[in-house]
Amino acid sequence: MKPSMLKNATLGAGLAMSVALPTVAVADEINVVLFAMPYTQGLAKLEADFEAATGHTANIEVIGQDVFENRITLSFTGQTGDVDVVHTPVIQVQRWIEAGWLRPITAEVDGMATKDDILAGPLDAYLVNGDRWALPFFAETGMMAYRTDLLAAAGYDAPPATWDEMLEVAAAVKTDQVGALAMRVAPGQGFNMFVFPMIMRAYGGAFFTDYSGGDLTPNMNTPEALAGLEVYSQLMNDYGPEGIGNFNFGEVAASIQSGQVAMIVDGTSIAARALDPEQSQFADQISIAAVPSGPAGRSPAIAVHGLGIPADAPNPEASFAFIEWATSAETLTKIALSEPYPDFIRASVAENPEVVAKYEGIHPDFLNLKVEMLGDAIGHYRPLLPQWPEIGQIVGENINAAVNEIMSNEDALAQSDADIADIMSE
Amino acid sequence: MPRSKHSFSLKQAAGVAMMLAFAFFALLPIIWALVLSFRPTSHLFVPIWEAPTVLTLDNFSTLARSDFPFALFNSLVTAGASTALAMLIGVPAGFALAKGRSHRKFIASWLLLLLRMAPPVGFVIPLFLLYLNVGLIDTWAGLIAAYMVLTLPLVVWSSWTSMAQVPDELIEACLLDGATLFQTLTKVVIPAARPGIIATAVLAFLIAWNDFFFALIITRSDTVTAPVAIMNFVSYARVDWGSIALASVVLTVPTVPVIIFANKYIVQSMGGAVKG
Amino acid sequence: MGVQTLFQRSYNQMLMPAVLAVIIFAVLPLVGMFGLSFTDFNLIKGWGGEVGLHNFFKLADDRRFIASINVMLMLSVGGVIFQVVMGTLIAVGLEKIVPRWKFMRGIFVVPFVVPAIAVALIWLSLFTPTLSPINAFFDIFGITVPAFLTTQYGAIAAIVIADTWASFPFVMLLILAALQGISSDLDEAASIDGATKMQIFWRITLPLLKPALLMVALFRFIETLKHFPLIFVMTNGGPGRSTQATNYYAYIQTFQSSNVSYGAAIAVFLFLFAAIISFYVARANARISGA
Repeated sequence: MKPSMLKNATLGAGLAMSVALPTVAVADEINVVLFAMPYTQGLAKLEADFEAATGHTANIEVIGQDVFENRITLSFTGQTGDVDVVHTPVIQVQRWIEAGWLRPITAEVDGMATKDDILAGPLDAYLVNGDRWALPFFAETGMMAYRTDLLAAAGYDAPPATWDEMLEVAAAVKTDQVGALAMRVAPGQGFNMFVFPMIMRAYGGAFFTDYSGGDLTPNMNTPEALAGLEVYSQLMNDYGPEGIGNFNFGEVAASIQSGQVAMIVDGTSIAARALDPEQSQFADQISIAAVPSGPAGRSPAIAVHGLGIPADAPNPEASFAFIEWATSAETLTKIALSEPYPDFIRASVAENPEVVAKYEGIHPDFLNLKVEMLGDAIGHYRPLLPQWPEIGQIVGENINAAVNEIMSNEDALAQSDADIADIMSE
Repeated sequence: MPRSKHSFSLKQAAGVAMMLAFAFFALLPIIWALVLSFRPTSHLFVPIWEAPTVLTLDNFSTLARSDFPFALFNSLVTAGASTALAMLIGVPAGFALAKGRSHRKFIASWLLLLLRMAPPVGFVIPLFLLYLNVGLIDTWAGLIAAYMVLTLPLVVWSSWTSMAQVPDELIEACLLDGATLFQTLTKVVIPAARPGIIATAVLAFLIAWNDFFFALIITRSDTVTAPVAIMNFVSYARVDWGSIALASVVLTVPTVPVIIFANKYIVQSMGGAVKG
Repeated sequence: MGVQTLFQRSYNQMLMPAVLAVIIFAVLPLVGMFGLSFTDFNLIKGWGGEVGLHNFFKLADDRRFIASINVMLMLSVGGVIFQVVMGTLIAVGLEKIVPRWKFMRGIFVVPFVVPAIAVALIWLSLFTPTLSPINAFFDIFGITVPAFLTTQYGAIAAIVIADTWASFPFVMLLILAALQGISSDLDEAASIDGATKMQIFWRITLPLLKPALLMVALFRFIETLKHFPLIFVMTNGGPGRSTQATNYYAYIQTFQSSNVSYGAAIAVFLFLFAAIISFYVARANARISGA
């Protein structure tokens, strides 16, 4: 039971059109809003640890991602001041900064004794306009998981190293019962737009003419991006499991866990789930490999999530105390051991013998491969722009339409260019 | 019945078959949700007939440990209170519209429908901003009031149509005995229109109980309702189908006896509305 | 009538609380919605001032908006047809085919109380080929059930099916009510005259049900315009934009793209559309109940 229930009960009883009492803030109680993933679910179980460590109490709320996005946007807009620490995905951070919703934490972060223990890539992902805006707790990259038995039966001892090989292997592995490859196809910036750029960039495609050089002319309608989209469409349509056109991460994970597909290419968390014998029926037959490469190299997906402080948070010191505790080596280690959470961002955690033993137990190469993939990933895998959530939504729709053969591949790319131009010009 | 035995024909058999097919369609999703509720994660994707005995109660403990029971409690309180409140102020209004003298009844009925039909996406933002200013975000009072937007037009409309059936003579007799109008309403009109009043309350409760969108926008951690809390089982890397299915069953079960008890009243009261 | 005049003030007093509540909690936000539609308010960029009818001109040029109307009409018309046909068949069946099986009515009202979000999640699982028992069942016979959610019309059909499942009981209850108002003497007279049951249904029952059918169809039509949880959970508007109905598009504009004012303009359009249809509902109702 939550403490505020009593207040609500009194209110409810005498309600009619009554106006609620202003919320009385409990001293130093930190309200944390996170969306559901293994780390956040693990963190929510450690509320007592936080109190023991700092004397503050925390109310950690873990909600569905869809619910989170709607709710947090409105809380920020309304300056409700009811959130002390917020789940801050890198993909949203530019947008939130532009809107003035986040509080910079540059001095606090730079003053941390253990700052250098945090991997530079994820840490600097939050360095925008010269300020730091959040501390990362999660850096996920792309990975392939595959069934050794099914590939061997089709005559392959090794997983495909390139997307071209993937087409060949997929054709050989696909049967009526088992699909060859599952990836996310459902439309959305965090759904198909998390995986599709792995193929598009491998073939040399990009969202803009020269993102790094500052030329933000939409440039998806190129032969390179088209080659990537054609491979993606063909892999999904010809060699994917039944219903792939609406698959999201949940279905991708489930399909390999239940033996309905021979290979997946998705995030490291999903690959870890494929290897987990408690959830995966064929865990002992599953191995992992690098994300396939293409003519333009390899471009594993990357997603970084962190904890930030809303601009209107009433007690920023206490908020930062929470963030520091939540991203500390000790806390990350605990969660890495209790949950399927290989995406920690501290070097010392990766060296912790218990953690190493756990993930080597899942697969000997898991941690090394993850580090290798992180090394190959580019920070702006998905462009770091305030407009990205909007762009990702609409391009995701176009790409999904192409894969499901509602639009041609060419039209989908041309349309995406036009849509991005519209959004950028506003 | 003038019909003889041989009338049990192929056509009747086809009719019965059609009814059974519809019953199957109506029950399949419910049965499926029950099956999923008892399946362990490892066997979610194994057809139930291949391993019918692999069942678990794990989902119950997952559900019990989550925020779902708390959210269910919030749902019951807010749906219940908003129904009670909507009845309290809606039924007298329905009575006034049914029996009072007005030249604008058609406009009133259209307006009521219109409010019932307004797209929540549009006015939920203004409602949110309004609530922000008066401190109603994440309060029971706020959610109950928001549900009045949904329930009140229905209550007024529906109690209006059922009380219109009560004969004027009955009301006039009661008034001539010296009763006030309010006494007449509670002592004579409501009992006479009982099926309609019960049906109205049930429908209003279901509408509030069903709501997802309002709760999504104007609740936070303290007053989250069950339909929103279900979505928390969709987490990154894992859709917890077992808990989702169980939560859906739990969310449905309390209202099944209500609807089975009340459906004859709904039919009676709608009868009032459609036969005239 | 004299009594009524005498008590008119009391009647007005009874009406007042409801009128006030409606104004505060429904009319005010609606006014706000209209107000927002004439402004430029973006959650990220903030307040951009008043822009008059700009948002509405933009709507006229917006392909996604035009396409969304098409989707909305397919979902609504499809849904209403199936719900009304199925609800009517079941109601008539309960009365004429299996009148003694009282428990059947209990079975058919159950979907009515399943909350929309649960409906969406359960049907999503039934339409996910790797999870669905329907696919697994047909696999035994080597039949591959097509994946509904990955084709344009399949996804629309899936939403229509889920909506039909959730809403046919409403139609059924209303038609049952209307059937009980139809005297069984007519049926008997007709059957003595030698009419078959089918003839009785088509020539007598159905024409008498027409007003009720019209009302329930219009009522359901407006309800289906507000589809949200089914699309939100089952398809995210996909594949492509195949199931982005107007209401869902308003949601995307408001919450995904932060264009609150533009979202409000779309909602205003929907509201006006619903207003026209509810006018006909109110008129149909006035005719039926003779008010």
